[in-house]
Amino acid sequence: MECVVQGIIETQYVEALEILLQGLCGVHRQRLGVHEICLKSGPNLGFVASEVRLLCDIEQAEPTWTVKHVGGAMRGAGAEQISVLVRSMVESKASKNVLRLFYALGYKLDYELLRVGFTFHFHRGAPITVTVSSVNKMLKLHATDEAVPVTPGIQLVEVTAPATSENYNEVVAAVSSFCEYLAPLLHLSKPGASTGVVPTAAAAAASLMSDGGGTTL
Amino acid sequence: MEGMIQDPSQQQQAQQKNQVVAGAERLNQAVQQQLNLESLKTRAISLFKAISRILEDFDAYSRTNTTPKWLDILGQYSMVNLELFNIVDEIKKVSKAFVVHPKNVNAENASILPVMLSSKLLPEMETEDNLKREQLLQGMQNLPIPSQIEKLKTRIDMIGAACESAEKVLADTRKAYCFGSRQGPAILPTLDKGQAAKIQEQENLLRAAVNFGEGLHLPADQRQITPSLPLHLADIMPAADGVHSFSDPSGMYMKNTPLTSSNIGSQGSLVQLHGQMQFSQPLAHQQYQGRQLPPGHVQHGIGQSQLNQGNQLGRHLSQFSSPANSALYNAAQGTPSTQMIPNMSATMPSQSLLPRMQFGLPGGNPQRSHASQILTDQMFNMGSGPGGMMPMQPQQQQQQQQHGSQGAFSNMPTAQNLQSNMVALQNNPQSHPNFAQQRQQGQQ
Repeated sequence: MECVVQGIIETQYVEALEILLQGLCGVHRQRLGVHEICLKSGPNLGFVASEVRLLCDIEQAEPTWTVKHVGGAMRGAGAEQISVLVRSMVESKASKNVLRLFYALGYKLDYELLRVGFTFHFHRGAPITVTVSSVNKMLKLHATDEAVPVTPGIQLVEVTAPATSENYNEVVAAVSSFCEYLAPLLHLSKPGASTGVVPTAAAAAASLMSDGGGTTL
Repeated sequence: MEGMIQDPSQQQQAQQKNQVVAGAERLNQAVQQQLNLESLKTRAISLFKAISRILEDFDAYSRTNTTPKWLDILGQYSMVNLELFNIVDEIKKVSKAFVVHPKNVNAENASILPVMLSSKLLPEMETEDNLKREQLLQGMQNLPIPSQIEKLKTRIDMIGAACESAEKVLADTRKAYCFGSRQGPAILPTLDKGQAAKIQEQENLLRAAVNFGEGLHLPADQRQITPSLPLHLADIMPAADGVHSFSDPSGMYMKNTPLTSSNIGSQGSLVQLHGQMQFSQPLAHQQYQGRQLPPGHVQHGIGQSQLNQGNQLGRHLSQFSSPANSALYNAAQGTPSTQMIPNMSATMPSQSLLPRMQFGLPGGNPQRSHASQILTDQMFNMGSGPGGMMPMQPQQQQQQQQHGSQGAFSNMPTAQNLQSNMVALQNNPQSHPNFAQQRQQGQQ
């Protein structure tokens, strides 16, 4: 299982967000370049189509592949109240033949996207990963070199943390409290809900970017 | 202070008056204006009471071992602090007019009283004072006094001006970032409505794209593999190979592309499949799920290129050249069924990822020996998907051929290349009801 929240931030404030995250997390950022291929099973694999995501990390010298299945979100009154989405997720490393395997099994390409940005991994009550990335689409099949952003002015911020059915409450609390620290710059919410931008983002970004000298306002 | 110095005559009169009035001492009016001593006394007493109340609370906490509510305590503390600050501030204004002395002289304060009452500075304070005065008047001591005064005045003015501008900058910054006010910003900086709407639109686009892939589906014409694949895909996806399915990794799995003969039945492809266990699409047709595969040969899947053509393909296996077919058939014949099974399990995909793949492993017990039932198994396979497991029993070859010629499907090819044990499939949706009917017939 994992706990997920998503938010958006204008591209002009991404640098300020990086500074804030660096201060909060205490680790350096890692570059992120992931080619995400979403496959959907054909009807011969069952009445309910299943989706599988193949993630290829193209930032490494040797591309590494991961296969990921995202399940349904937790439901119920309790789930409504928490501000973090808790859903089942299974992830595994795979060899580079994973794409061929799935095609052989009858999966078809549904869509693909390319994420370019940076990510922070740290521990604050739970192992948390924050990803800030620009989501790009490819106009031609698999043409990652010619990818263009889906929304040029806005980047996606995702905060995820792995959880189990026993400890998800603590993980939810850890993620929520971490998100509060980011409040001056952006709001984070469950993936389905939209947040808009925060009005204090400009001022917060300016103060984060300033070198402490007396800048006139 | 001013009251004493500026109106000595008044003071004397007042003092005389006071002495006339029995015992009561009145302060000078001016001093009284500056500092209402009575009210100050009341305030000091109330402050003292507040502090002692807080101390009592703390005592109670420590005795009962409960956790105090820190927010409340901080609030109380800040109130007390503020009150003390105000009192001290007011006294500072007139402190020079007053001397504080204890009511009674007793053993406690007898020794310190002279020091308290003296107006002379303590020795260390005096040296500090002299030092500071020297620093201040450095370089000016030879000048006449008025010019010294002038210089000091200008210095004070400059410092004053610097302080004022610093204060201004601080105040402006505070207002802009809304610090320092407990209620928060009175007026939030708002986004322009139009801008906010645009951003909302963009946000919806982005979220939909990331979570559901909206807007990212390529139209069919864009789905041809480019000859120049990115590095991470180049070695795993042979673009020019006609056999493999991803030469046309169509996303629309319901698309009705006609079967291109170039993809099928090239002898080379079949030879490639030889000796390999290639599971094409597993069967998940509901009717199939409960059944077990009878032991027998597991036929090779048909060329993968066929897999992606959706359900509307006609499998014309007569296209397979007979030598290849017979080679396959012989190979299938030769190996006992038990040997095929371990292969099968080895190449089965992991259950965790694809729980829907339900292969009944042939347990070695043929549950049906009737030829027609075997044929119906075949029919199952054909009905649900291209290729897949084609259970065959070599012993009943002849019967199957006969049955095959009966044509479980109305559109089975008449070409009797069924010696290859590959039965033609035609997966029209219309044939499914037929299929059901046929099955019943077969079982009767």
